[in-house]
Amino acid sequence: MKKLLTVVVGLGLVIGTASAGTDVGADIKAFQSHFKKQNPSVDFADYTIGVYALDEGSREQFEEILDGIPPYEEAVERGGEEFEKFGLGKCAALKDPAAARLAHPYYDDAAGTVVTLEGTIRKCYTEQTGKKMGTMKGKIARISSWISDQAAGEKINVKVESDGAKAAYERGKATFYAKRGQFNMSCADCHVYNSGKKARADILSPALGHTSHVPMYRAKWGGIGTLHRRYGGCYKNMRAKPLMAQSSEYRDMELFHQAMSNGIEISADRYRK
Amino acid sequence: MKKILLTILTVFALSTQAFDFLPSSYNWNSGSSGDAFAATLSAAEADYASALAASMAWRDTGAMIKEAKKLHKSGKVDAATALVKKAHTQAENALAQAAVAGSAGPLF
Repeated sequence: MKKLLTVVVGLGLVIGTASAGTDVGADIKAFQSHFKKQNPSVDFADYTIGVYALDEGSREQFEEILDGIPPYEEAVERGGEEFEKFGLGKCAALKDPAAARLAHPYYDDAAGTVVTLEGTIRKCYTEQTGKKMGTMKGKIARISSWISDQAAGEKINVKVESDGAKAAYERGKATFYAKRGQFNMSCADCHVYNSGKKARADILSPALGHTSHVPMYRAKWGGIGTLHRRYGGCYKNMRAKPLMAQSSEYRDMELFHQAMSNGIEISADRYRK
Repeated sequence: MKKILLTILTVFALSTQAFDFLPSSYNWNSGSSGDAFAATLSAAEADYASALAASMAWRDTGAMIKEAKKLHKSGKVDAATALVKKAHTQAENALAQAAVAGSAGPLF
């Protein structure tokens, strides 16, 4: 109990102090400059295709897949049908799907929490049908993909303005950079400092642009999954216990993660290996 | 002399009876090992609960504790104790990570 209290109080003090000096603009500049320095030949706009911007061979395979019928196309169309079927357009927050994608994630000052697109979809679905919706795959991923498709070509523009938003952003930033699990690794170890290098047979994707194409179709999954499903997979790879999708920790991290890609175009090309 | 002989015989008879209560496979060292297991299990469970509460638990610690309990139940006390010690070390390391997680930031 004493150990837990020390950890919790320590975390609170550190993050509380840090949020007072939060400069999101400077963070974004430093983050994006890091990738510019790491991959000087890659155009900023190309980060929308993630890892395929870093490796020519992988990019060719990616383009070939897109030239045919992408494996997620049918699922995304179904997501559109489900959006209509469940009356999700009746919810004010989802009335304009493209605007909804651009508005999320955001910090809700009244509720004191980060709201993700998937959180809004789930809330609306429950209001309209009286039922609950999952958080990682299936309906939630299909509908969220269809909504995101409506904003394809628009640029990610996450706003972190209020004190509450800044505190959530700082918590998310700490989660992203904290070392965890048996391998003592952070998200940044793979996707910032070592992106473009190989981990076994796979090239590590750059965190810049990660959120341009979410939810993503992964060949490994054989289907579409949400960003929080991916977070869970990364945690397992680091031998850390995954948190619940849509937990406050993952929502805070998404706020930070998406903000780092401000200026990157949202893409409907959601295929990843 | 007769009294001494009687006392010796009585003590001998009683101690033989006491040995008969125990199966031939009884492990005379299990008393202290059992205590060690219980103490380490208790510490491992407490630290694991703290790591979970800090959202910093390791992937396999819970399963290791569960497996250690199973081993102990089946009489494999030494293996159970070794495993629960490993689980405890994992939980302690997770708490050490949690203690510095709040101040984590970029290296650039």
